[in-house]
Amino acid sequence: MELEKFSYDNKIVRNFGIATMVWGLVGMLVGLTAATQLFYPNLNLHLQYTTFGRIRPLHTNAVIFAFVGNAIFMGLYYSLQRLCKTRMFSDKLSKIHFWGWQLIIVTAALTLVMGFTTSKEYAELEWPIDIAITLVWVVFGVNMFGTILKRREQHLYVAIWFFIATWVTVAVLHIVNSIEVPVSFLKSYPIYAGVQDALVQWWYGHNAVAFFLTTPYLGLMYYFLPKAANRPIYSYKLSILHFWALIFIYIWAGPHHLLYTALPEWAQTLGVIFSVMLIAPSWGGMLNGLLTLRGAWDKVREEPVLKFMVVAVTAYGMSTFEGPMLALKNVNAIAHYTDWIIAHVHIGGLAWNGFLTFGVLYWLIPKIYKTELFSKKLANAHFWIGTLGIVFYASAMYWSGIAQSLMWKEFTSLGVLQYPNFLETTLQIIPMYMIRAFGGLLYLTGAIIMVYNLVKTAKAGKFVANEETEASALVRTKDRFKKGIRHRFIESKPILLLTLATAAILVGTLVEFIPTFLVESNVPTIANVKPYSPLELQGRDIYIREGCVGCHSQMIRPFRSESERYGEYSKAGEFVYDHPFLWGSKRTGPDLQRIGGKYPNIWHYMHMEYPTSMSPGSIMPPYPWLLSQKLDISTTAKKIEVMRNLGVPYPDGYENIANKDLMKQADEIAKNLNENGIATSSEKEIIALIAYLQRMGTDIKAKNVEGK
Amino acid sequence: MKLIKYFSTKLLFSLIFFLLSPMFISVLAQGETESGGIGEGYYNFIILLFVLLIVVIFAFLFLFGMKEVSVEEEELQLKTAKVPNKHLQKIRQFLTRSTPIEKETDILLEHEYDGIRELNNRIPPWFNYLFIATIIFAVIYFFDYEIFKSSPSQIQEYNMEIQAASLQKEELMKTGSFLDENSVTVLDDIASLNKGKEIFTTNCVACHRPDAGGLVGPNLTDDYWIHGGGIKNIFKTITNGVPEKGMISWKSQLNPKQIQEVGSYIISLYGTNPVNPKPPEGEKYKGE
Repeated sequence: MELEKFSYDNKIVRNFGIATMVWGLVGMLVGLTAATQLFYPNLNLHLQYTTFGRIRPLHTNAVIFAFVGNAIFMGLYYSLQRLCKTRMFSDKLSKIHFWGWQLIIVTAALTLVMGFTTSKEYAELEWPIDIAITLVWVVFGVNMFGTILKRREQHLYVAIWFFIATWVTVAVLHIVNSIEVPVSFLKSYPIYAGVQDALVQWWYGHNAVAFFLTTPYLGLMYYFLPKAANRPIYSYKLSILHFWALIFIYIWAGPHHLLYTALPEWAQTLGVIFSVMLIAPSWGGMLNGLLTLRGAWDKVREEPVLKFMVVAVTAYGMSTFEGPMLALKNVNAIAHYTDWIIAHVHIGGLAWNGFLTFGVLYWLIPKIYKTELFSKKLANAHFWIGTLGIVFYASAMYWSGIAQSLMWKEFTSLGVLQYPNFLETTLQIIPMYMIRAFGGLLYLTGAIIMVYNLVKTAKAGKFVANEETEASALVRTKDRFKKGIRHRFIESKPILLLTLATAAILVGTLVEFIPTFLVESNVPTIANVKPYSPLELQGRDIYIREGCVGCHSQMIRPFRSESERYGEYSKAGEFVYDHPFLWGSKRTGPDLQRIGGKYPNIWHYMHMEYPTSMSPGSIMPPYPWLLSQKLDISTTAKKIEVMRNLGVPYPDGYENIANKDLMKQADEIAKNLNENGIATSSEKEIIALIAYLQRMGTDIKAKNVEGK
Repeated sequence: MKLIKYFSTKLLFSLIFFLLSPMFISVLAQGETESGGIGEGYYNFIILLFVLLIVVIFAFLFLFGMKEVSVEEEELQLKTAKVPNKHLQKIRQFLTRSTPIEKETDILLEHEYDGIRELNNRIPPWFNYLFIATIIFAVIYFFDYEIFKSSPSQIQEYNMEIQAASLQKEELMKTGSFLDENSVTVLDDIASLNKGKEIFTTNCVACHRPDAGGLVGPNLTDDYWIHGGGIKNIFKTITNGVPEKGMISWKSQLNPKQIQEVGSYIISLYGTNPVNPKPPEGEKYKGE
C-alpha cells in the first residue's frame, strides 16, 4: 500500500505549551497571594484591584481556563494529529484558536481586577468576553472535527471520545449559563433569578469541573500514560463502560452544591444519588490508568514523567471518592461553606490537573525538541517538592474546615452557641491558613523548577516545527452494527458519536431544568418580598463588583446552629428578584442574608473603612475607596429597565423617576451618618452599599413582626 | 505482589495516611470543643502534629532514597523470597478476573493508534459490583426520600431539632440554670464583677466611656434609663440591642453568662458619679 507523506504541526503544540507554563505560574502566584491575604490582608497593598474579592476569581479563572485550558489544547493538538494520522485541519484556525484564547485570558484578567464580574463562579466574565469565548470555542470545534473527518485512521481512539464529549458539553454549559441581558458594555444581568439561577449556575459549575478539568484530562491520560509507560491500555471494555457512564451521570450531579439550601428537595435528592453513582465510572478512569502500568512499575520508580502521572491518577481516584461522600447530606452539612471544600478541589487541581500537566510537559517538550530532558534530578526534586506542597496544603485545609465547622455547630450545655462570635472561629484557623500558604509556596517553587528545566531542555535541543511522517491512506472497511462490535461501529462515525454524547448530557439537564422553571410550587412566593429600591440595586452591584460573595454566603441553611447565629433560615421565595443569586459557596466571614437592621449605619460605615475597628482581629480587608468614590447613577434607568424586562415588577416608566427615589433614600442614610458624627455625603458608593446591607433579608423579618 | 512493587506500596501508605488525617483531626477537634473553649493547647497541638508530619515525610523520603540505591538487590529479594499467598491470590483473581501479564498477547486487540495498543481485559467484577451497589443505593434513596417520604425532609429535620432544643430549654428552666431576661439575677461576687469589667473594657468603652459616664451612648451610672434599668432590662438591651439607636445586639458575640456578668458590673457602677457625665436620658428608673 502506498504511503502518503505529511507533517504534524508541532508549533501550535509548543505555543500552547509555553502558554500553559506562563499562565500556570501566574495563576499559582495569584493563588498564593490570595492565600496569604487571608492571614495578612495588607498584602492587597491597599489597592481595590488586588483585594481578595477580586483576585480570588482571578486565581480560579487563571488556573482553570488559562493553565489547564492551554494544557488541554497542548495535549489535544499533539495527540489528535497522531491519533488521526493527519495534520490539523487548518493551521490558520489553530492560530486563531491560540491567539484568541490568549486574548480572552488577558481581557479576563483585566476586567476581573477592575471589578467587572457576573459573580457566578467560574463564569465571572462579562458578556462581551462570553461571546468571544463562544466564537473561539467554535473555531476550536471546527478545527477539531475537520481533523477528525480527514483522518487516516478509521476508528476513533478513546482519547478522542473524551475530546468530543468535552467540546460539546462545554459549549452547552457555557451558552446556557451565560444567557444574560446587557446593561452596559461590561455589565449585565442573567435572565435567571434566585433558585433557578442557582440551579443553572451549579449545573454549570459542577460540570465545568467534569468537562473542563476531568474529561479532557482523561483524554490526555489515555494518550500520554500508555505512551510514557509503553504499555497497552488495560481494558478496552472498561473504556467504553466508564466513558458513557461518566458523561451520562456527571451532568446530573450539580445540585449537590446546593444541599440544604432553598433548592427544591427533589433536585437535591437527584444531586445526591447521581453523585454516589459517579464513584464507579470515575474510578474506571483511574483503574484503566493504573492497571495500564501493570508490568511497568519498575519504570515508575525511575521515570519522573510516570511518577507525576501515577500521583495524578491516584489523586483523581481519591478526589472522585471524596466528592460523592461530600455529596451525602450529613457530610455536606459539616463540610459545606468550609475549607474542606477548598481542600477537596485542590486535591483535584494540584494533584490531578497539575501533576498530569507536569507529566505531559516533561514527556512532550523533549520530544518536540528532539532531545533528552535537561535534568531528571531536577524533575524528581520537583515531584517531591510538589507532593510535599500538596500534603501541607490539603492537611491544613481539612483540619481548618472540620475544626471551624464543628465550632460553628457547637452548643453549650445551656443551649446557646459555644462560639457566638464568628470571628472567634476564624482566629482559631489562622495558623492553618499560614500552613496552607506554605504548601502553596512549595508547589509554586516546584513549578518554577520545572520551567527552568524545560527551558534548558529546549535550549539544548532543536525544535521540529513540522514533524515529517507518513501513513497509508484510509481504506474504509465495512463495520457492521452487530453484537460484540457495536461500539466499533460508533467509533468509525464521529458525528454519530457526537450526537450520542450530546443526547447523554441533555437527559440529566432537561430532567432537572424543566420542572424547576415550569412548576410554580418549586418556588413558593412570599407576598412581603418586594423588588430592591434603586439605591439598594446599585448597592447590590457594588457588592457584586467587590466580590463579597467570595467570602460571605447569603443562604442560611435550616439548622438550629445557623438560625440561632444568623436568623430565620432562607426561603426560596425570598430570592425571586435576585439577578444574579448571591448565595455564595464559602463562609470565610459570616452569612449576611439577615444582616439588614442588625447594626446601625455607622457600624457598617466604620466597618468598611476599617474592619478591625469594629471587629478586632478581623481578616476582612478595609474598603476605603467605597468611602471616597462617587456612585455612578447614570446607569440606574437602564438597570431598572433591564430588570423589568426580566420580570421584576417595577411600574412602567419607573426608570424615569428612579434616581429621585435613589437620592431621597441616600440623603436619609447620609443624614443619619452625619448625625452620628460621620462626615460623608449622599452620593458616595458606601451609602448605596449600606442601603443594600440594611435591606438584606428584612422582607421576611417584617412579616414576623406583624405575626407577633 | 508482582505488579505492585515497592514504590506503589509506599505511595499507598502515604495516601492512606493522607486520607485518614481529616478523620483523625475531626476526632481531635471534637474533643477540643467538647472540653469547652480552645486554649493554648490547641496551638501547641497543631505545631506538634505538623512537626510530626514533617518528620514522617522526611523519614519516608529518606527510606525511599535508600531503597533506590539497592534496586537490584531488592528486586532479587522480591523475586526469590516472596511466595505469594495462594488464598489471597484466589480472592484477587476472583475480584479482578485479570488475564495474567504473560498471557496478555491473547487478549491484545488488533488495532493500534500511534503505537498505543489496547488489551481486552474483563472489566474487574469488583468494579461492576461497586457500580451496581451504588445504583441500588440510589434507587433506595430516591424512593425513601421522594416516593415514600419515609426519611424526613430538611424542614422536618429542622423542626425536630428546634423541638428538641425547646424541650431542653424547658428542662433547664425547671432547674433554674437557664439564663434569659426573666431568670437573670445580679451577681455580686468579685470574680464575676472582674470578668464583667473586662468585658466592659473590651466592648463597651468606645461608646459609654471607661467610667461609664456616657459618650455616644448614655451614662450608665445614674438613675435614668432609656430602655429600663435593673438587671433584667439591661440583660435584654445588651442581648437584643437597639440597632436604630446605635446599640448593637451582643448575643452573637457574648454568651448569656457573659452578658449577666457585664450587666452586673454595670449595676455595680451605680452612683459612682463620674466626672463630666452625659446628661440624663430616658426615664427615672424606680426599681423592679
